[in-house]
Amino acid sequence: MENYTKFKLKRKEELTPFLEDKDNLFILACNKCFKEFEIGDEPECSNLEQLAKEQGKTVVGSAKIDFLCNETLTSKLLQSIVPEEAEDIFVISCGLGIQTVAEQLENPVYAASDTISVDGQHGMALTTTLCDACGQCYLNLTGGICPIVDCAKSLLNGQCGGAKDGKCEVDKNKDCAWEKIYNKMESLGRLDELLAQQVEVRDYSKINHKFINQYVTSVRESRFEGYYGGVHPSEKKEFSENIDLVSFPEPRTVVIPLSQHAGAPADLIVEVGQTVKVGQKLAEANGFVSSPIHSSVSGTVVAVEPRLHPIQGIKTMAVVIQSDGENSIHESVKPAKDLNDITRDEIIELIREKGIVGMGGAGFPTSVKLKAPQKVHTVLLNGCECEPMLTADHKLMTTYPEEIIFGMKTLIKGSGAEKGVIVIEDNKHDAIEILEAKTADIPNIEVAVVKTKYPQGAEKMLVKRMLGVEIPSGGFPTDVGALVANVSTAKAVSDAMQTGMPLVERIVSVTGERIKNPGNYLVKNGTSVKDIIEHCGGVKGDDTTIKLGGPMMGFEVRDLNVPVIKSTNGVIAVETKVSEAVECIKCGRCVDVCPMELKPLYYTKYAPAENWEGMKEQNVMDCIECGSCSYICSSKIPIVDRIKIGKKAIREGK
Amino acid sequence: MLITQLKSKETIESLAKGKTFIVNCHGCKEVYFAEHEAEELQKELSETNDITQIVTTDYICHPDNLALQLKKHMDKIKDADTVIVFSCGVGIQTVAKYLDDKRVYSGCDTFPLPGFQGVTPLQVDCAQCGECYLNYTGGICPITSCSKSLVNGQCGGAKDGMCEVDKEMECGWERIYRKLEKLNKLDTLKYEPKVRNYWHPDAEQTDAE
Amino acid sequence: MRLTEFFDRGEFVVTAEVGPPKGFHIEHLVEEANEFLKGRVHAVNVTDNQSSVMRLGSLATCKVLKDNGLNTIFQVTCRDRNRIALQSDILSAALLGIDNLLLLTGDHTTLGDHPQAKPVFDLDSVSLTHAVKRMEEGFDIAGNAIDGEFPKFSKGAVVSPCSDSVDAQLAKMEQKVKAGVEYFQTQGVYEPEKFIKFMDKAKQFGVPVQLGIIIPKNVGMVRYMNANVAGVHVPDDMIEELKADKEKTKAGITGVEISARIIKECKDYCQGVHIMALGWESKIPAILDQAGL
Ligand code: SF4
Ligand code: SF4
Ligand code: SF4
Ligand code: SF4
Repeated sequence: MENYTKFKLKRKEELTPFLEDKDNLFILACNKCFKEFEIGDEPECSNLEQLAKEQGKTVVGSAKIDFLCNETLTSKLLQSIVPEEAEDIFVISCGLGIQTVAEQLENPVYAASDTISVDGQHGMALTTTLCDACGQCYLNLTGGICPIVDCAKSLLNGQCGGAKDGKCEVDKNKDCAWEKIYNKMESLGRLDELLAQQVEVRDYSKINHKFINQYVTSVRESRFEGYYGGVHPSEKKEFSENIDLVSFPEPRTVVIPLSQHAGAPADLIVEVGQTVKVGQKLAEANGFVSSPIHSSVSGTVVAVEPRLHPIQGIKTMAVVIQSDGENSIHESVKPAKDLNDITRDEIIELIREKGIVGMGGAGFPTSVKLKAPQKVHTVLLNGCECEPMLTADHKLMTTYPEEIIFGMKTLIKGSGAEKGVIVIEDNKHDAIEILEAKTADIPNIEVAVVKTKYPQGAEKMLVKRMLGVEIPSGGFPTDVGALVANVSTAKAVSDAMQTGMPLVERIVSVTGERIKNPGNYLVKNGTSVKDIIEHCGGVKGDDTTIKLGGPMMGFEVRDLNVPVIKSTNGVIAVETKVSEAVECIKCGRCVDVCPMELKPLYYTKYAPAENWEGMKEQNVMDCIECGSCSYICSSKIPIVDRIKIGKKAIREGK
Repeated sequence: MLITQLKSKETIESLAKGKTFIVNCHGCKEVYFAEHEAEELQKELSETNDITQIVTTDYICHPDNLALQLKKHMDKIKDADTVIVFSCGVGIQTVAKYLDDKRVYSGCDTFPLPGFQGVTPLQVDCAQCGECYLNYTGGICPITSCSKSLVNGQCGGAKDGMCEVDKEMECGWERIYRKLEKLNKLDTLKYEPKVRNYWHPDAEQTDAE
Repeated sequence: MRLTEFFDRGEFVVTAEVGPPKGFHIEHLVEEANEFLKGRVHAVNVTDNQSSVMRLGSLATCKVLKDNGLNTIFQVTCRDRNRIALQSDILSAALLGIDNLLLLTGDHTTLGDHPQAKPVFDLDSVSLTHAVKRMEEGFDIAGNAIDGEFPKFSKGAVVSPCSDSVDAQLAKMEQKVKAGVEYFQTQGVYEPEKFIKFMDKAKQFGVPVQLGIIIPKNVGMVRYMNANVAGVHVPDDMIEELKADKEKTKAGITGVEISARIIKECKDYCQGVHIMALGWESKIPAILDQAGL
């Protein structure tokens, strides 16, 4: 692969006199962008070091940095790597890197290199096709050949007459652009258009500081909104956002896996042939981080056997229950004590007993969060639903606002917090309105409206955005005094308190451009995904992918005979993406969007090389698998897949 | 870094002759693409013109990826009289090259934003001048922070420290002067007159060795 | 005649500026110059597409004025020509016998009547001065030898003594001097104290400076300048003075008085005066009379 970012060390004749009155140098080099990503052969500081030493200068240190112009990451790094005794800083990078360093440091910062060109910025693919961003695209007049870039004189009204044998007078190796344009237009049968063209005069005032500056400001604002990184995928909520929530028809059979949560699978306590009722416990929590499982129907246990798990992708133990359609409620289902009378410990026990786990993602048992030894001051209820397409939480908020608020109150009491904040993204106006109205008189609960940005709903981002603090690597929100729960979880807590019903059903959005009749359904735990899709009229087109969850973090399912579980917030049918990964071009996009401030490009190299040590060094375990990097990757590398491989290997102790 | 703006509705309408196939590229959407405006416009266009298909994909500037993404639509494309591409200039050119015998039109104008790597435009810019002046200017680029790209000090047109071209833009040379003053390095400005070199015959062997 | 010769003789050098019209009939301009400037000024500046508004060329106008017996200063900006055209025009000036140059960067294209134009700025005032100096030494800026006799000019430049950042102005002035500037004309001065303070620092360069005078026409004009024109600041009491007697101001009497007063106050601190009449060329003799020149 060609090197697209071109800068070179300044000539010795320029550097030597320049170094004269400088000393105690610190040398920074950028590992460059838009080049083949190889670990270890990046630009060298040694030539400059040598030159300085020849002149009797002290070099107090040097460092090579990835994407030096990334202000956020570079400024953090600079704090730790530039030694006190450094006086003059020399930077080897393109002009952006040098200026970024100059802005960050108090010391004088000097350019040790000259920037020649950075072509890769013109479109992500590294091809020879360029665009000069003239602000007045002429391609419509020229058959798609750029007269600004391809013509050495950027002529707009035909060739200059300097071409010889069809080659440009400036460079004999280059075809005359206007000759190419003529031929192309001729072959398209558009010559008359070319000849009838009016005289074109370029408007150089189109690209002006004001215009560019406005863009820079607005794009930067949305990029840095609340936290570093993140992406803005198309929301595509329109398929299901205006469809009312309804109950999904009673399933005839449910398949309830014993593992629906983070931690150990639950311990079975029923037998085949036994009759069970709605809300009856089927399996007991097995250890501290675990959760019980309850029946969502009344009927008979017809099997306990390994069944395909919707997210683990393998067969795991599940209870299969044939419904009698009666929906008779188990006697254990009865309201808990009044919120005023119940103690904090009783709340925690209730939440554990009723099988309540995080319903937004990994299914971490809520009671475990509540038991954290750290003092919690704020409960953050996540109503962001930043995943594209999904509208389950949105519907929940507009349908059950009272329950959410009651659940919030319970969580505040259960965690010993002082206040609670319900965080909603600004694209859900009706939910904001309802919850704002209903919380107006509650002094310690407020609604916060935030601008959309994925993955806002991730705990770590939510905490950063709302409280302005970073959760330490490997830590939890409780480490900084916050308890984060999903709005669905709050609703489940409210049910547990007010009716005593354990977590046996949830809202699922069935959506995507390929589903015939999208909708939002209240679905019983264990309902088959296949039944759901059939109920919604099936899918359109044969190039369709079904995912459980949203398009960003959802799990693709090939076999639809899998059940809905506690964390299934969506069933989506989307067009199958075809892509072929190519080599990483070091475009830096993944680094720019990773909300955890990681450098995902390393994982693309390390995973195939089975370099688990390298992955650990690059903090792969901090990755929240949000998929922002895969979403943006200009080389279509399935980065998250590679990350998962690495994490698994590391967990297995490799 | 590039951003795109839609061409005017009239222009696009006049381009959509006969059966029209539309390609949107969202590859650089993080930087900027008028997603909703484009959608709106294409919806309106569908009512008046014969739009046979709208495909939204990404990174059409990569020829292989482009071919892959267009593969299943080739029948419709073959059948179309016109293909309108909503992307930056690179994307449009790549499509035009790939669909060599089609009328490929551009629905967008492309503008530059400062910044090379990543998706976040920067507040500093580099024009790749090939003879970095930062050493004389306290690390502030005169080529991009001065409206006239002057390399021998300010033009004298600044008023209250603001550039004559745009009152919201600080005079680059004023900033340079202040920065050097702060660094106690004003002497740096006493250099021989500089003349820019626009010709870089050596641009090819350019690695930082 | 070269301006430097007057300075060398210790004369208080007076120059005035004229702006060519948008058209090629300059009879009126020549008439006015003959009537009001001939015999009163050492040289006449001819502006180069002033304020980025397209007009008749400076060089051709210089030639016509010269043929009418006026000494001229050819103003050259870097806005519209690259280094090839600039140097070529400098040689043309030598051929036409123009002795004085005023070398400027020039306003940005977007400020004038062709905002869509491509701004050139290949060279700037400093590098242009350097280029002229090289030519006087027998080489063009690329280092190629010049045939025959080398051109010779008085090379002038501008400076803003009342700018908001005088220190930066002085630094730039020093750069210009080093590049070869032999005299300076200043931006319009309305605050003699500031000018005198500036001259105190500027005299170290040993290059003559002409005080710049823009005749204040009315309140609207000075307010506009205060808001928009770089390096110009008209103090409040002067605005009051213009306001006081509207008729007098309208007749130009106030403007003439103010201008003459400023000249008198600054005369001892500089080596000449440069008057920018902006259409009020007819007032120049009165100003000079009142200033005792
Ligand atoms: S653009 Fe940034 S990452 Fe690329 S070479 Fe320059 S400083 Fe390094
Ligand atoms: S998936 Fe992991 S590495 Fe990729 S952007 Fe998200 S947190 Fe970063
Ligand atoms: S986004 Fe993809 S191509 Fe770009 S640096 Fe990251 S891994 Fe490489
Ligand atoms: S002077 Fe400016 S344009 Fe030139 S290399 Fe340095 S940063 Fe880039």
